[in-house]
Amino acid sequence: MNLHLNPNKLFKTIRLLLFLATLFAQFACEDVIQVTVKNQSAKIVVDAFINTINQIQTIHITRSIGYFDSSRTEPPITNAKVAIVDQTTLPGKLFVFTHAKNGKYQFTPNTLTGDTFTIGHDYALLVVIDQDTLLGLSRLNPTTKIDSIRLVEVEGNGPPINTTGKYVELIANDRKGKGDFYWIKTFRNDSFLNSINQLNISPDMGNVSIKEDGQLFIYPVRYTKVNDFSRSYKSRETVRIEIHSVNGLAFAWFNLIANENQNGGLFATPPINIFTNIVSYNEKKKIGLAGFFCMSAVASASVVIP
Amino acid sequence: MHRLYILVFTVGSMGYTTAQNFTLSGYIQDSINRETLSKVQIIATDSEGKELRSTTNGYGFYSVTLSKSIQQISVLKPGYLSIKESIILDKHLNRNFYLSPETESLDLVDIRAKQNNNVKSLDMSTQTISGQTIKKIPSFLGESDVIRSIQLLPGVSTVGEGSSGFNVRGGSIDQNLVLMDEAPVFNSAHLFGFFSIFNPDAVKDVELIKGGIPANYGGRLSSTLDVKNRDGNKRVFQANGGVGTIFSRLTVEGPIVIPEKNLIRTPRKTPARSSFIISGRRSYIDYLAKPFLPANLTGSQFYFYDLTAKANYSYKRDNLFISTYIGDDVFTAQGLFGVKWGNSTVTGRWNHVFNKRLFANFTYYYSRYRYNLEFMNRGATFNWQSYIINNSAKADFNYYLSPKNNFSFGFQTTHYRFIPGKAIAKSETLNLKFGLPDRYAMESAAYLSNDWNANGRFSIRAGIRFSQFAYLGPGQVYVYTRIPGKQGVLDTAYTTKNGELVVNYFNPEPRLGFKFQIDKTSSIKGGYNRMVQNLHLISNTTASVPFDVWQPTTNNIKPEIADQLGLGYFKNFGQNGEYETSIEGYYKSLQNQVDYIDGATLLLNEYLEADLLNGIGRAYGLEAYIRKTTGKFTGWISYTLSRSERKVIGINDGNWYPNRFDRLHNLYVVAQYKLNKKWDLAANFVFSSGTPSNFYSGQYSVQGYVIPDAGSNARNNVRNPNYHRLDISATYTRKKTKKYKSDWVFSCYNVYNRRNPFSIYFSTNHQEKGQNAAIRFSVIGSIVPAISYNFAF
Repeated sequence: MNLHLNPNKLFKTIRLLLFLATLFAQFACEDVIQVTVKNQSAKIVVDAFINTINQIQTIHITRSIGYFDSSRTEPPITNAKVAIVDQTTLPGKLFVFTHAKNGKYQFTPNTLTGDTFTIGHDYALLVVIDQDTLLGLSRLNPTTKIDSIRLVEVEGNGPPINTTGKYVELIANDRKGKGDFYWIKTFRNDSFLNSINQLNISPDMGNVSIKEDGQLFIYPVRYTKVNDFSRSYKSRETVRIEIHSVNGLAFAWFNLIANENQNGGLFATPPINIFTNIVSYNEKKKIGLAGFFCMSAVASASVVIP
Repeated sequence: MHRLYILVFTVGSMGYTTAQNFTLSGYIQDSINRETLSKVQIIATDSEGKELRSTTNGYGFYSVTLSKSIQQISVLKPGYLSIKESIILDKHLNRNFYLSPETESLDLVDIRAKQNNNVKSLDMSTQTISGQTIKKIPSFLGESDVIRSIQLLPGVSTVGEGSSGFNVRGGSIDQNLVLMDEAPVFNSAHLFGFFSIFNPDAVKDVELIKGGIPANYGGRLSSTLDVKNRDGNKRVFQANGGVGTIFSRLTVEGPIVIPEKNLIRTPRKTPARSSFIISGRRSYIDYLAKPFLPANLTGSQFYFYDLTAKANYSYKRDNLFISTYIGDDVFTAQGLFGVKWGNSTVTGRWNHVFNKRLFANFTYYYSRYRYNLEFMNRGATFNWQSYIINNSAKADFNYYLSPKNNFSFGFQTTHYRFIPGKAIAKSETLNLKFGLPDRYAMESAAYLSNDWNANGRFSIRAGIRFSQFAYLGPGQVYVYTRIPGKQGVLDTAYTTKNGELVVNYFNPEPRLGFKFQIDKTSSIKGGYNRMVQNLHLISNTTASVPFDVWQPTTNNIKPEIADQLGLGYFKNFGQNGEYETSIEGYYKSLQNQVDYIDGATLLLNEYLEADLLNGIGRAYGLEAYIRKTTGKFTGWISYTLSRSERKVIGINDGNWYPNRFDRLHNLYVVAQYKLNKKWDLAANFVFSSGTPSNFYSGQYSVQGYVIPDAGSNARNNVRNPNYHRLDISATYTRKKTKKYKSDWVFSCYNVYNRRNPFSIYFSTNHQEKGQNAAIRFSVIGSIVPAISYNFAF
């Protein structure tokens, strides 16, 4: 059960549940059909999520593909020039990303030389592709601390918890003050649980409408979304949880992609184009752009299942 | 407009001041159960053969002022045997008439066909359906339904099965004023629109007004659906009901008197002063589903119920009524979630005849819609509630100045309380209360309308309604800087005190209608009306959901305004005029239509109004209708050609785009055939053009998440396939005894098993296919047979 208090997601789940719950489901049906969609010109996609973890940072630049292209291979852009500029320092400190392969541009931070990102600073992403210059802006916000990861034994009695066994709970408090946004990533044996259903984002403690602040993340954030309830944890498995600070815009962006991925059925909303914070330097020239640039500070903790 | 009224008054008075005029007035009732009957025609023919017409108002009262002479009075209403009687009118006369329902013998010469009421009345774009007709239409799971029946009328459409409400002449579902015994209901659907909240056994009259809306109605742009419930039999105790596939229903009614011993089933010669009616329904889907549910869901409840009750008391010139409705849809899965939504209303009415020409109806009503959601998980609960509550008082008067000149006037005031959302989240460590502040508003209106028969051929209905809406404190008021097409930027915010006026809107709403009688069987009618709407259903989903929230007009949401022009030609054919035909065209222009920015958060959003966009709309169409009213074979064919579009800066690059419920062609065929005394057959066929939709065209991935992309900003630029469906039914009436009547209804919905798509949506990373897929979603994807049993004793 998705208990996330993000209203859109919450109500989508309710709607789905409700509809399935009715016996009318026996008359309703869904089947996969073939439709033709208009071809669109490919958009330039910039996937630039950079964080403060001391390891290679990657920016991936590709072109979008047709909706029904099942190959899922987005053509890489390999001839771009990519850099991030620290706008808070004078002169702006430059972090150059070099092309490794398949449109992946990389930069290795170095604590010894001071080539690291600083919390509280504003950064600009610059991408030059042929004659076009693309620009993105992001502030590196501070993140919160993780107290611990707690082990929880649960009896599986049907959806959402199908399997009896061990699950985890993140024990962490929201930072004091309003306006913090987090992207919480769970890794099972170093593999990121990247299902859209487990996209775990949190405004402050988990809801903007509540007055409380700086306390434990709400239940859906600290528990529901950090577990894959179809598979309980086995002994000696590793769980790592990272709390990435993001900004309000990135939060809104994540929110939209979660919604769009679950949009459909009786209560569908009109499909939308997810916005991007990547813009063309030459405003007059219309270039199809997509993707996001976000700088994050990271708190991390891990536990080995006994 | 004022000048026009002075003229109307003067001309009317001139007609009246002639000496030796006497007034014939009273109520017209059903002879069997003494229910009052509305829209009954009273035709007075004097010795020279000159005809004067009047009709009973919504409460069964009539008044005609005639010159002193012998008058031939005819009283006519479809479904009833007419009365013809000579009356010597040498004084003011109070006279009630009692109409007998048509017997089932088809050999009787039916006089009602000659009434030509559709041609001669000033009403246009108005459809009435009787409870009898509704019961004859083949229906989903064999259960006749008010809203699903009116969806077969010209100008009415729906997004599809499973969508609540209905769309009238290109208007959205919240633009229909749905009244139950005068009280508005905010969600007329049970089970997502498969059934409506109106119990057909309790319904007396259903009237749908799509255009030329009289001044006594206001508050919604597109239509008024006025449902009046029955008052209850004043002569004898009666029960009727039915057992169906999905729910059962029971109605009990009778006079409120102490019955004499053993005479409870004998009709009283003198009807009682008061009577009651109680009707209830409950579905038993949950019981039926129980064996099929997984073990952990066996405690689940999925059902709806409704209860309608009414009582009345008559004494001399006064009639008092009190009626109430309560109904809920309940879905709970034990230990997981619980959801409940429903309306409740209470109406108190007092009809008073001040004198033979002045009739008044005073109403107070309370209406509430609410929903409640609850989730539970491992001791943690989340509870959420939302309400809209309104209390209203109104007075309506009919003044029958002369048979050629009638006035209606009145006023109304309504207090609204909106509770958009209150939530409590509880777990071992937390007890959070949060939500949005309540909102308050006061709406008032006054109206005056005049029906004037200028000469035998030309009649005018002119009216004006003044409406005023005040958005009140206490609460938080936000002022936004608006950039067209973008999310509003918060400029200032301030707190208001209890009752403090935040903003006030005042709107005149002129209404004008005319009729030109070409001959006895044909006429031309036209009309213009302006409607203003101050309540807005905030919803951006394809089908409305019970959790959509109503919002008042505020400093950020402007009143919606519609101007409608209509013109129609009405003609009756056949030996007895049994074929009623009409062709009507309309054009509607709408202002301040609410739309949403991409990705708007509509629930639990304190800054919701920043996410709203303001646009204009237009709707136009042509409606053709032919109906056969009498004989063994009855029914109608209705065809509507229409467009409904919207233009909003920020959507579709600022160009016009079709509304989600836009359908170019709508063809409905409804046919009923009485085979013999035992068997009745019926069928209906529906064809509607596909609704518009949006398709994705591209995809890309970021951080491992696949993101669909619509490419352009076009809205509703692809069409879903056409919708068509055939339903049939056969009713077997068992041999009646004096005490017991019953029938079996065998019905089949979607006979040829058409898989009509409700929508085609795109599934990114489709679960089974592991890649993107287009999904055809059909709410009814198969043939649905059903049997139900109805009884009365």
